Amino acid sequence: MPEKNGIILDLKEVNKSFGGLLAVNKVNLSVSQGELRALIGPNGAGKTTLLNLVNGTLPVSGGHIFFKGKEITNLSPHRISHIGIARTLQITSLFSGLTVFENIWTAVQSRKKFFNPFIRALKWQDVKEKTESMLELTGFKDKAHLICSELSYGDQRILEMGVALSTEPDLLLLDEPTAGLNSQESMALVKKMRSMLSGQTIILVEHDMGVVMELADNISVLHYGAIIAEGTPDVIKENEEVKKVYLGSEHA
Amino acid sequence: MFLQKGKSFGFILIFVLILLALIALPFFVDLFYQTFLTELFVWILFAISFDLIFGYTGLLSFGQALFFGLGSYTVTILIRKFGLNTELSLFLSIVIPILFAWFVGYFSVKLTGIHFVIITIIFAIIGNIIGDTWTSLTGGTDGLTFSPRPFRLGFFQINLMDIKGNYYFVLAIVAISYLFLRRMVQSPLGKVFISIRENEERARLIGYNVQRYKLIAFIIAGGLSGLAGGLYSLTLKYAAASYLHWSVSGHAVVYTIVGGMGTLIGPALGTGIIMSLEHYLINFLQATDLVVGIVLVVMVLMAPKGLVGLIQSRFKKGETSA
Amino acid sequence: MISNLAVAILNGVVWGLIMALIALGLNMIFGLLHIINMAHGALYMLGAVVAWYLIELTGSFWIALIIAPLCVGLIGLIIERGLIRTIEDKPIITIICTFGLMLAVQQLVLMTFGGSPRRIAPPVAYRFPIFELQYPLMRIMIALISIGLMSGLWIFLRKTKYGLWMRAVVQDREMAVGLGIPVNKVYMWTFILGSALAAFSGVLAAPIVSVEFMMGREVLIMAFIIVIVGGMGNLEGSVLAAIMISLIQGVGALFVPPSVATIFALAFMIIVLLFRPQGLFGE
Repeated sequence: MPEKNGIILDLKEVNKSFGGLLAVNKVNLSVSQGELRALIGPNGAGKTTLLNLVNGTLPVSGGHIFFKGKEITNLSPHRISHIGIARTLQITSLFSGLTVFENIWTAVQSRKKFFNPFIRALKWQDVKEKTESMLELTGFKDKAHLICSELSYGDQRILEMGVALSTEPDLLLLDEPTAGLNSQESMALVKKMRSMLSGQTIILVEHDMGVVMELADNISVLHYGAIIAEGTPDVIKENEEVKKVYLGSEHA
Repeated sequence: MFLQKGKSFGFILIFVLILLALIALPFFVDLFYQTFLTELFVWILFAISFDLIFGYTGLLSFGQALFFGLGSYTVTILIRKFGLNTELSLFLSIVIPILFAWFVGYFSVKLTGIHFVIITIIFAIIGNIIGDTWTSLTGGTDGLTFSPRPFRLGFFQINLMDIKGNYYFVLAIVAISYLFLRRMVQSPLGKVFISIRENEERARLIGYNVQRYKLIAFIIAGGLSGLAGGLYSLTLKYAAASYLHWSVSGHAVVYTIVGGMGTLIGPALGTGIIMSLEHYLINFLQATDLVVGIVLVVMVLMAPKGLVGLIQSRFKKGETSA
Repeated sequence: MISNLAVAILNGVVWGLIMALIALGLNMIFGLLHIINMAHGALYMLGAVVAWYLIELTGSFWIALIIAPLCVGLIGLIIERGLIRTIEDKPIITIICTFGLMLAVQQLVLMTFGGSPRRIAPPVAYRFPIFELQYPLMRIMIALISIGLMSGLWIFLRKTKYGLWMRAVVQDREMAVGLGIPVNKVYMWTFILGSALAAFSGVLAAPIVSVEFMMGREVLIMAFIIVIVGGMGNLEGSVLAAIMISLIQGVGALFVPPSVATIFALAFMIIVLLFRPQGLFGE
């Protein structure tokens, strides 16, 4: 068990290739407990692929991934979820036909060991209570009975974070939470993230530099699958190579 | 997905009323109708077992006929060739399809989409071919007939050669199965199935072993399809290889879609309506499949949530205007 | 023995070439456009049935070979316009809808054509000797016609504007729209072509297996299997897979009962599905 501010996630020489294409190139990355690490880089740099490797959606081509001191390389996503890693996706992935309440419930319920087919699900008081507190946290208490496809896109992004959070993760992987949001919605999301996610260890993939600069403790810059720079936001802002890679453009 | 207390009271009330009506029915209708209704109950069981894997878990299997046929042959062969008693034969008509469903499901759930559909059909075709050709065991396309002994449970006994007795027997078992499935889809396990249907990847990401639960749903559905097959043979005193053909699974698909998938009551309703329609039409045209085909296309295009969906949206409209 | 083997191989190749046509049609619709058409087997059957009527009318197999696929192509157009247009992109609904269509069409044919199978007289009756047995020239002709059709298709797809358009639409639909390609028309023509190919297959199969309203049911599954084993979108793969599978069934039937040979072929299918779902020749 890592002590406070010990390393919780450790990637060692992680590689991923698809046929001839090297998507992730000998990545070494360590994230400390409680840290918010932003992962930035141009499109196609391999950021989402890296997240997919960490949460088990894709197998690595080489290298090792350690979480809380134990090796988790190539474990299946559902096992990794129980080990303590949760994930949101670039394109919102929710149970679209179900209500907000049901979405959260399903995530909270996932921590149970046995799913009894003979009792009514609502009899599980502990799940019910945790669901209700999650609804409070996400601010959806009065929207709980809406079908989640009826929510605004920004709300759906928040809900997805709530769903991920409901699995009591030690590490949260967020894939471009502000993608598809206008600046107003992005600000609302960031505000929500501050209140919902304080104390969480997070890897945040983002294109919106404003959000990154505001939230990140540290930034890792990925280019053609390799880490080209790492450091605090101030350091990264001044890094020549990073500036070159981004061709001077900062997304608002 | 979640029912409030009021709704479940409403369900119990309606269920009991329908059950009482069905119990009373044999005193008012002739033996022919009783046999028709008995068959109807069997197909309702087949349809709701299909609803479990398709309506609730999202797996479109055209191969359920395999388990139906297995259940049907298990009962027939055990009674006819081995002289086994009816209770044990019926029990095994659930167990043996479960074993096969475990095997078929284990491989099938590794696939998704059209690949899953095809592999389930292939298994059903293999079963069909074996059924057609292993005539010494199955009687091939001619089938096998048999006479079951009365069903005994403790002091309780039903004579299945008596049409009325057969009717109550099947009604009881199907009613119990319906309640069993209903509880299951409301249970934590049911929520897992539903989450897989809604978004398999999200279900996996929040920690559900999707393949394991798909397999569980497949096995349960297989067992209940087998039970339906067993009851069917006990009712007709007959089994034939044609029940193993994948197009038999097609019946379940039609009933479920027309009635409303993912509702249990939908498939029951759909079965009742389509089978009655076929039964009625067969006197006028031989073309029942034509009508069924057209109804299916129309329903899918205009009312993808089926009849139950249509009824529900009527109620919703009523609520909002109040 | 050797003559049995030779005949089995020839039969396997001939039937494989017939199946290749229906599989190509399905591959265009399913493999390329991702539309799951459960009624494809019914189109094959319609090809055979319409051919039978045409032969009754005109006495000419050749007229039937040309006209029947045109008729079925028209039916394909109606299906595409009427049904598929409304439900594009929803695979489960497409499967069920076309399944319903299959039921309706089969029943319509049952009502008009009748339930008993009918024979089509082969266009030529000559048999030539292979080792100790006589082999019908008709089958060789059917094989050659099939090869001719496939070559024609190949030329059409590679050398014409339409073929180029089709490949563009499959690769990247958005970009194709951007390039000004009439995507909806391409979908429509692909569906028509796919349906016509199924009909050709039916016409060519008719002298061999006889015409009946249910003939599409088994062929449908075989066609899907061939497309998946050969690789979705891989047209050459379909041809190879069709011949391969027919050969396994045909030659296998010499050594084991035909049902067992079919089961082996099906079991082989299952293994391909599980270990190489992209098909033997797919990428």
